[in-house]
Amino acid sequence: MTFTTRVALVASIALPAMAIGVALAAMPRFDDLRKQAPIRGDAAAGAGKAALCAACHGSDGIAVAPTFPNLAGQSATYLYVQLRAFKDGARDNAVMQPLAKTLTDQDMRNLAAHFASLPGKSAPQKAHEASRGAIVFHDGDAAKGVPPCQGCHGVDGRGPHPDPTSTAPQPAWSTFPRLAGQNAPYVLEQLQVYHDGTRVGASNDKVMQGVARNLSAADMHALADYVSGLMGSDCPCK
Amino acid sequence: MRKLLVTSLAIAIAAAFVGTRAWADSSDSARVGDIQYGNALDPSGWAPLAWPDPRGFSWLHAGMMRTPSGVLYPYPPQSDDKGSPLYKDSDWVYSGFLQLGYIHQGGDTGAEFFRQYAGWEDGIALGLFALHADNPKTGQYVEFRGSRLSGDDQYYRLRAGQYGSYKIEAFYRDIPHDVTTNAYPLWNGIGSTNLTLPAPLVPGGSTPAEVAAVANARPRQTIGLTRRREGLSFEDNFYRDWTGYVSIVNEKRTGDRLWGGPMYLNYILQDNGGALETVRPIDFTTTDVSMGLRDVGTVWQFQLNYTGSFFRNHKDELDYQSPFALTNVVGVPQVANIYQGQFSLEPDNDYHNLRAELSRSLKWNGQFSLAAAWGTMRQNDPLLPPVTCTGTGGIFISPSADYTFNCADWNTSAALSQQTANARIDTGMLDAKITLHPSPKLGWHAGLRWYREDNKTNYLAFNPLTGQYGYIAENGSQGSIIPGQIGIFDPRNPLYASYVTQVRAIPFGYTDAVFDTGIDWRVSENNTFNVTYSFDRDQPKYRERKLVNEQRIKLSWVDRALGKGTLRLDYEFAYRNGGPYNYDPYAPFYSIALPGFVTPPLGNVAFTTDAMRKYDLGNRIEHKLHATLIYPIGDTATISAIAYATRDDYSAAIGRQATRNRGFDLSWDWQPSPLTSMSANLGCADSSLDFSNVADNEDATGAPGRDDPSLGGPLFPLANQWQSLDHERDYNAGLTLRHDFGRVRADFSYTYTYALGRIDYLFASPGALPITQQPFVDGVGNAFPDNHYHINTLQLGFDIAFSRMIGMRVFDLFETGSFADWHYAGLQDNLVIDHRIYTDLGPQPHYSANLIGVMLNVKL
Repeated sequence: MTFTTRVALVASIALPAMAIGVALAAMPRFDDLRKQAPIRGDAAAGAGKAALCAACHGSDGIAVAPTFPNLAGQSATYLYVQLRAFKDGARDNAVMQPLAKTLTDQDMRNLAAHFASLPGKSAPQKAHEASRGAIVFHDGDAAKGVPPCQGCHGVDGRGPHPDPTSTAPQPAWSTFPRLAGQNAPYVLEQLQVYHDGTRVGASNDKVMQGVARNLSAADMHALADYVSGLMGSDCPCK
Repeated sequence: MRKLLVTSLAIAIAAAFVGTRAWADSSDSARVGDIQYGNALDPSGWAPLAWPDPRGFSWLHAGMMRTPSGVLYPYPPQSDDKGSPLYKDSDWVYSGFLQLGYIHQGGDTGAEFFRQYAGWEDGIALGLFALHADNPKTGQYVEFRGSRLSGDDQYYRLRAGQYGSYKIEAFYRDIPHDVTTNAYPLWNGIGSTNLTLPAPLVPGGSTPAEVAAVANARPRQTIGLTRRREGLSFEDNFYRDWTGYVSIVNEKRTGDRLWGGPMYLNYILQDNGGALETVRPIDFTTTDVSMGLRDVGTVWQFQLNYTGSFFRNHKDELDYQSPFALTNVVGVPQVANIYQGQFSLEPDNDYHNLRAELSRSLKWNGQFSLAAAWGTMRQNDPLLPPVTCTGTGGIFISPSADYTFNCADWNTSAALSQQTANARIDTGMLDAKITLHPSPKLGWHAGLRWYREDNKTNYLAFNPLTGQYGYIAENGSQGSIIPGQIGIFDPRNPLYASYVTQVRAIPFGYTDAVFDTGIDWRVSENNTFNVTYSFDRDQPKYRERKLVNEQRIKLSWVDRALGKGTLRLDYEFAYRNGGPYNYDPYAPFYSIALPGFVTPPLGNVAFTTDAMRKYDLGNRIEHKLHATLIYPIGDTATISAIAYATRDDYSAAIGRQATRNRGFDLSWDWQPSPLTSMSANLGCADSSLDFSNVADNEDATGAPGRDDPSLGGPLFPLANQWQSLDHERDYNAGLTLRHDFGRVRADFSYTYTYALGRIDYLFASPGALPITQQPFVDGVGNAFPDNHYHINTLQLGFDIAFSRMIGMRVFDLFETGSFADWHYAGLQDNLVIDHRIYTDLGPQPHYSANLIGVMLNVKL
């Protein structure tokens, strides 16, 4: 086999493979979370890796600014799949993506376990149960096709309360975040990206798209205000 | 709280369905046409649209949910999240699919079973054209679907409407039905109302050899018909809970089918009579109309509905010629030359039914409903003359034994007692039902239904031209072979004053009342028990019994405690008895009831034996057992098993004595993901029917005791009794597999069908056999040869996607079968046997056919 033939043979295999690789790399990642099992991690090891996170999310998991999410008391699995989505490119964020790329899978599990173990934020003031946000959260708006938020995020906003006796296929409950005590500006921003259809990298995002697309701007504000006022302590979603 | 959570989840799940544009069908009260659309290329209908969506059922959870009894729901079909705008800035969006390609057949493509309901043709075929457009802002939609294999096998459906407001549906469909592909009809004019003999055959003057020479040279033909159906419906939610609907469906059936042509018996009269397998035209139109109003309130529900059905037969009669000469059995010169035969085909008729229903919700989660209906069926077509012969019919023995008749007295409508049928049957119905659930564990229901069918038809067969009663039998052939058996009663003529023949139409009707009640009792969380009792009181008119009672009790038990499985057991017991049984209730409609009838010195020949019990009226004990097991295997598979057995015992020495049905079905369904599904099924059904009868003692018909109806008497001796056991066993099996590889999707299916039929018989003596078989009693045996029907069908297809919009389907369908039926034995050698002419050679004993197709798939 001549050198030229060898080059041609290698090229004929490598070039299509590269083309496929480039094409695959260019494809947006999609996280199908429907079979995601709850994760476990080493919280202590995670604490050792959390120094960089503290710059925005606080050393105690309470964000330093309301535009950042509080992580304390959040579902560990939710935190893990978000870190993984940043790392894989399934979720877009200019700050989080480069940071997440430096983490190993075990790092992400440990960090998630660490923040989940921290006590959640206590709300500065009690949520107003007669507000528009409370109504949408608890009852939804059937006329607009908006389901109640409590179905997946729990009646108290502290995460879902699955029925252990149900024999029906179960959602990956642990991937649903707690909302109680979350910062209102951050919640509003996420509702807006769901409403606009720009956060679409995971199956849960598809669910939220269906919910948020029929929300008005006023309702999104009302919901963000309401959940931020829900008491955040003693989250059962760790 | 829990309820709220469930409700919330339900809404969320609904919001999280992956597809927003529905391809699936929905049902509604104003539907026209068929519920299921499909053809041989795509028997289940819409198959190209039915590939499961790889995204699954819901973004909330993986896998599929199960029905309450444990069966997995199928994955939803793939759909686009949103279609393309109809035009720039349009609120309307559309999506569509086109499958168009070429089909080529090979092998025994004319085999009857291969194309019985399939209009296969080589050439271009439209697999499916589907187009859906909707306006999400207004809820308006338009949808079109169509498929075309050939001009005789196609369907198109258009739906439009506005969700929650109105809907319109229109459809057009052609469905082929080949009765036989192996026919060699003798006559000219097939498909018309006039069958004439081809030259050189002479009506009433050809020998069997001459007829055979012509018949065996005739070309092979297909006998069949096409059903063309078209319909239109409209439904409108015009005011609050009120909905109005109207629909009209027109079905036209055109073609032909195998038919008969009697010229009196040939088996017992060699070189005489005639039994002809003719071909009759099919040219029917049936128009069904339905309209009504419906109010579905939370407490009251009301419905008023009118249905009408109008049947029109555009071919009123079938005239045919017989090539054979008739010869009288007494050896006198034949004065009659009867060769013209005529059938009166189905008359036009109208049906109207008006029904009102009122329901009210009651406390205890109950409901009371009351329904009433009145209907009428009428036909009033002009009646045809009794015969079409000309000249003289019958037999002239001597002036005192002149059994002739003048055709001119009978081949005119002036020979009829009335010019039109004036037939009418009215029906009435009342139905009341109540259901209550005093507790979540207990339910009770009761109902009372009354129905009457009142036949007002009163036709007297009387010829005003001759003053005679009755009807010329078998086109005049019978009376031209057997002296005196013309079919008429004449009180003024001693030759016919004792002739027993039917002279009036029998206005059969009945009144039926059914009471039923039952309870549903949830014994525990996983066990439900149900018992139902019903009492049916039937009062037939002019039948062997004036009163028939049937009591029925049904027990059901549903158990969900067998792991994750559901077991359902049903047992049913029914006992039927009634009033005294009259073996001959028809005497008032026969000539013996007319003034002037002279009872012969030996009495009238008994109508039938008094031991005969007709199966719809006789005493009967029935047992039914049915068991169903549905067992989930993990989250992705289900095993289903059904076993059943039914046993009916009739207290009948003569007639139907017993029937048995038993069988099982096993199936396994597996859908590990939206990309893969597989299923297998196996079934067996076994049925038998025991029947007994007694042959008349021909020697006794002219001797004392001929009026004795008793079994064991001179006319019906026990030695002439026979019994048959009709036994059929069917097997079926199937396997389906399909997988989505991404760019390539593969589907495979295999079906196997096998049916075995056998008739055994016993007889007490040669007297039980037909006269023609009595000399050959040693070779009669005790069973007919087995009949069997055997088909294997294999289909393999690949859908290859070249791009998101363009793809191709390649498929192959291979079918092989075998068939045996002793009814067709010997016809391969000659379609003419003595004075019997056969047209159909029957299905091919063995066949193999293959069909390949290459189709272009385009997403629109």
